[in-house]
Amino acid sequence: MEFTLKIERYDPDTDQGRLQEFTVDAPETATLLDVLDVVKDTVDGSVTYRKSCRMAVCGSCGMRMDGAAVLACKTPMAPLAEEGRVPVISPMGNLPVIKDLVVDMDPFWAKFKAVKPWLEEDDRPPVKEWRVQQEELDRIMKEALCIQCGCCVSECNSMEADPDFLGPAALAKAQRFVGDVRDRDRSERLRMLNGPHGVWDCTRCYFCNQRCPKGVDPRDAIAKLGAEIYSEGMLSDKGARHAQVFDMSTRATGYLLETALVPYTDPLKAMDVKFALNLARAGKVPNPLKPHRAKKLDEVRKLHKLLKTQEAAARDERRAGVSVDREEPAE
Amino acid sequence: MVRHDVVVVGAGVAGMRAAIEASRYGADVAVVSKLHPTRSHSGAAEGGINAALGNASEDSPEQHTFFTVKGSDYLGDQDAIAVMCEEGPGDIYELEHMGCIFSRTPDGKIAQRPFGAGGAPRTCYAADITGHVLLHVLYEQLVKSQVTVYEEWFALDLVMDGDRCVGLTAWDLVHGGVQGVEAGAVVLATGGLGRMYRGTTNAYACTGDGMSMAWRAGVALKDMEFMQFHPTTLKANGVLITEGCRGEGGYLRNAEGDRFMFNYAPNAGELASRDVVSRAEQTEIDEGRGVDGCVLLDLTHLGAKKINTVLHGSRELAMDYAGVDPIEEPIPVRPGSHYHMGGVDTDVWGRTSMPGLYAAGECACVSVHGANRLGGNSLLETVVFGRRSGAAAAQDVRSNGSGGVFSPSAVRVAERRIAQLLYNFDGVRPHVIRDELADTMYSNAGIFRTAEGLEQCVADIAHLRERYRDGLGVVIQDKSRTFNSDLIQALELGSMLQMADCLVTGAVARTESRGAHSRLDHPDRDDEHWLRHSLTSYDDGQVALDYKAVTITEFEPAVRTY
Repeated sequence: MEFTLKIERYDPDTDQGRLQEFTVDAPETATLLDVLDVVKDTVDGSVTYRKSCRMAVCGSCGMRMDGAAVLACKTPMAPLAEEGRVPVISPMGNLPVIKDLVVDMDPFWAKFKAVKPWLEEDDRPPVKEWRVQQEELDRIMKEALCIQCGCCVSECNSMEADPDFLGPAALAKAQRFVGDVRDRDRSERLRMLNGPHGVWDCTRCYFCNQRCPKGVDPRDAIAKLGAEIYSEGMLSDKGARHAQVFDMSTRATGYLLETALVPYTDPLKAMDVKFALNLARAGKVPNPLKPHRAKKLDEVRKLHKLLKTQEAAARDERRAGVSVDREEPAE
Repeated sequence: MVRHDVVVVGAGVAGMRAAIEASRYGADVAVVSKLHPTRSHSGAAEGGINAALGNASEDSPEQHTFFTVKGSDYLGDQDAIAVMCEEGPGDIYELEHMGCIFSRTPDGKIAQRPFGAGGAPRTCYAADITGHVLLHVLYEQLVKSQVTVYEEWFALDLVMDGDRCVGLTAWDLVHGGVQGVEAGAVVLATGGLGRMYRGTTNAYACTGDGMSMAWRAGVALKDMEFMQFHPTTLKANGVLITEGCRGEGGYLRNAEGDRFMFNYAPNAGELASRDVVSRAEQTEIDEGRGVDGCVLLDLTHLGAKKINTVLHGSRELAMDYAGVDPIEEPIPVRPGSHYHMGGVDTDVWGRTSMPGLYAAGECACVSVHGANRLGGNSLLETVVFGRRSGAAAAQDVRSNGSGGVFSPSAVRVAERRIAQLLYNFDGVRPHVIRDELADTMYSNAGIFRTAEGLEQCVADIAHLRERYRDGLGVVIQDKSRTFNSDLIQALELGSMLQMADCLVTGAVARTESRGAHSRLDHPDRDDEHWLRHSLTSYDDGQVALDYKAVTITEFEPAVRTY
């Protein structure tokens, strides 16, 4: 079968980039990686990309196809060729390009290392395994699927604005430990993640969930971290306070108290007169003296209380450590 | 030029485990790897890791030892196997405390599933992504231990002072240029060589580089002729479908729908050892009972729930690379080259015949797998002997100091060679030779072997090595020094050609059938002449063959049936 694609080339020696089109023959079952291999072997050996396992587990071959991050080895090409599409293959976003489709992963790994990516345990020598219920481990199974390919980081909108944002991959890694009942560093981790460039800087665009080739759903991991931080009462960050307004105002009125949202989340912003006027002009500032109120507020409050109770009970159960145990060394 | 007490080459499970252990001894440790550690092929291990924890049934290290010895077709060294099986449980508990999310029994212990020819449910697992989970946990520990990692450095050659290894040269892929890496001790943990075969489960990186470095430096390689063919790989690209599928109750069927394995292994059926199952499948296919060159791995009776929890990864692979949803229909599978039992000849501490040089994992041959490895024993080997070789290397440095003098000329020699390769414009593209090598290995040194085929293969490899001319027979089109993967692929081809030569030389000579080495012209095991390890050494570029005794302690060789 004939495949045509365009590759975004970059030559570091001359600092020149260009788009180059290739047409090659490959089997119908060919993936993007297979097609790149045919190009490299038979047309131009200088076309450069990373690869290794070709079975979507090593995470080497993250790149973009028509602007969206993919693993080359997990991307079948026949459907495109049949449509007559000529995809543009380019390097992942948000990371510096070294050559052609190869990006510098150092900034990626620096963030990985910044979340203290290992289980913190007591120092007693292991005698037997921790007794842990499968359901407890299932809580972190999705995050544990991560192969650190960088596809989520490539697509992260927030990182584009703030290159120091920890980003979806590192935050999902952090949740893998925060959610691990065997870890004893939970509070310290949450304090760190609650800081600048942390959990609350995610803009919830969901591109990371969409582009993750392994179903890790990093945005969901970030949401879990936010919930953990909030439930610990860590409200120093605007993000946590923003969540708190929703929490409080649903209890108070059954609705969102829009007039409290900005002042509570970010008091300085609330003093920005121009900003306030713009909001008012756009009809975004309802009368603060006449807030919306749910007709059956009692019902809403009951519901609110029920959720809080359930949440607390589940948390207490986990913290009580009923499902985590280790055997003491024999004398 | 950099200097460390212990330098580990390769960053899969064995390499990282060795580095972590050496650093625990207070050694200054570095890892050199042509890939970032988490890209290593250990991550593709799926089914699990064996240890006699006894969580799913009565079990003991002695039982584990016996079934491993039997599985090895009595070629494994029994003292080494006993070490692995006795120390295995401790290593599993340690991995669990490092954070490994092993699947659990209802009472919260590590769950265990049966694997082929194991005799008991002994395989610990994390769903069907066990290798992935282990690899990432060890990387976490490596980061914690602050070991220096030279990522994307391709190891070129060992450097010696007299007969002692004092380090190596490596090509820095990202920046270009040869780096001298001086070391008190070197641990090779570079993995396997399956890429020399067409139809392999192995990653592109599995090209036998470490083995060939050791071989060129004069260290003997052991039992190179033994290549395992995994029974369940996908037709399109050789991707592995775990033995765990059969461990969880999956069936193998032929075109007529029969569970044919019981004709070959009346007791164990689908859970016979891998060599037995692969031969049975190939026989079914050759005798016309296959389906488009495959047999069928049927999981449909296991139900969606089980498949989605413990075989989720296999389902994903089958859907991605075979277009089949195993909940609905069987997966077409066939045998493919998977694991190389042979490797650098070491003792139970990873020591080689060369002072200062150690080896662990698939690139080593201790030997614990003999003529056929049991599923679930390779991850165990990497952990146990990775740990041991790291400890031994660190202690070696402590007692011997730096060991010797690293001559800077080694770096200049390597630079000159790379320059010659880059500025050669005469020859074929590397893939031409690579494809011919893969074809002849598949056709002539595969599941069933004959004198005629193997001799053809020897001749083919000699011819290909002549054409390769130590790299001067292939053209590297990429002339730049920055991230030149074209250069790396040409160098890897050199490793594969040398190792293929060793493999086939051993296979021609061994006129018997044992484990994975199955000779149609010599169908029986011949303990009288061949209950011995082969040793292949470097002799002026060619392969010299020698033998050494197998260590038998407890279990006298017996007829092997399943």
